[in-house]
Amino acid sequence: MQRARFADILRLLASNEVEFIVVGMTAGILHGAPVTTIDLDVVHRRSRDNVARLLRVLAALDAVYRHDPRKLRPQESHLMGSGHQLLTTTHGDLDCLGAIGEGLGYEELIERTVAMSLPGGLVVRVLSLPALIETKERAGRPKDLAALPLLRATLDELTRRP
Amino acid sequence: MVRRSLDDDPVPREPDVDDNGVDRAQIRAMLALAPEERLRRVEEFVEAALEIRELNAARPVR
Repeated sequence: MQRARFADILRLLASNEVEFIVVGMTAGILHGAPVTTIDLDVVHRRSRDNVARLLRVLAALDAVYRHDPRKLRPQESHLMGSGHQLLTTTHGDLDCLGAIGEGLGYEELIERTVAMSLPGGLVVRVLSLPALIETKERAGRPKDLAALPLLRATLDELTRRP
Repeated sequence: MVRRSLDDDPVPREPDVDDNGVDRAQIRAMLALAPEERLRRVEEFVEAALEIRELNAARPVR
């Protein structure tokens, strides 16, 4: 069984200078929400240089599409689009998202992120909790709506802290 | 050398995400594990998250 070492994925992405934002429930967990998930969602910058760096990391992680029995590897053409690439890697599941919500990509989201340090001194950008709540509200699917009470309560607790 | 067109890339199947936004392939992968392995998988994820939280928190997380 592969081990879910998402911190190692983050470290690899950051050390290879991939521009990305942690989104989804992992962002919620990092902000303190008492939720669980088993995959790492990132929105990557869709420039050719950045996608090339991302592809190198994905190759090192032996990433393949997790829902496709052909074990296809992600290609530049897939990662340059706005779609969602749902992958499984040697370090756990990793979703590389071209855009989330109503077409929000890296450039639109980067202003609504916070920097978080990783063990070892690297820094990653994480979608802010208010922005995460907004994306869940706008997505409006049952899965997203179900997460909202815990995310909103976490934000409420954070704003009450002295 | 002939440069390969990006259109030649094999097209992956559509993600197996249902109308509720749930990734069914991920559920099947979890169901393929023994209960203890499922717990371990979640624990590993949470442990890594707590490590990052501790590093970024003004006060201890746990």
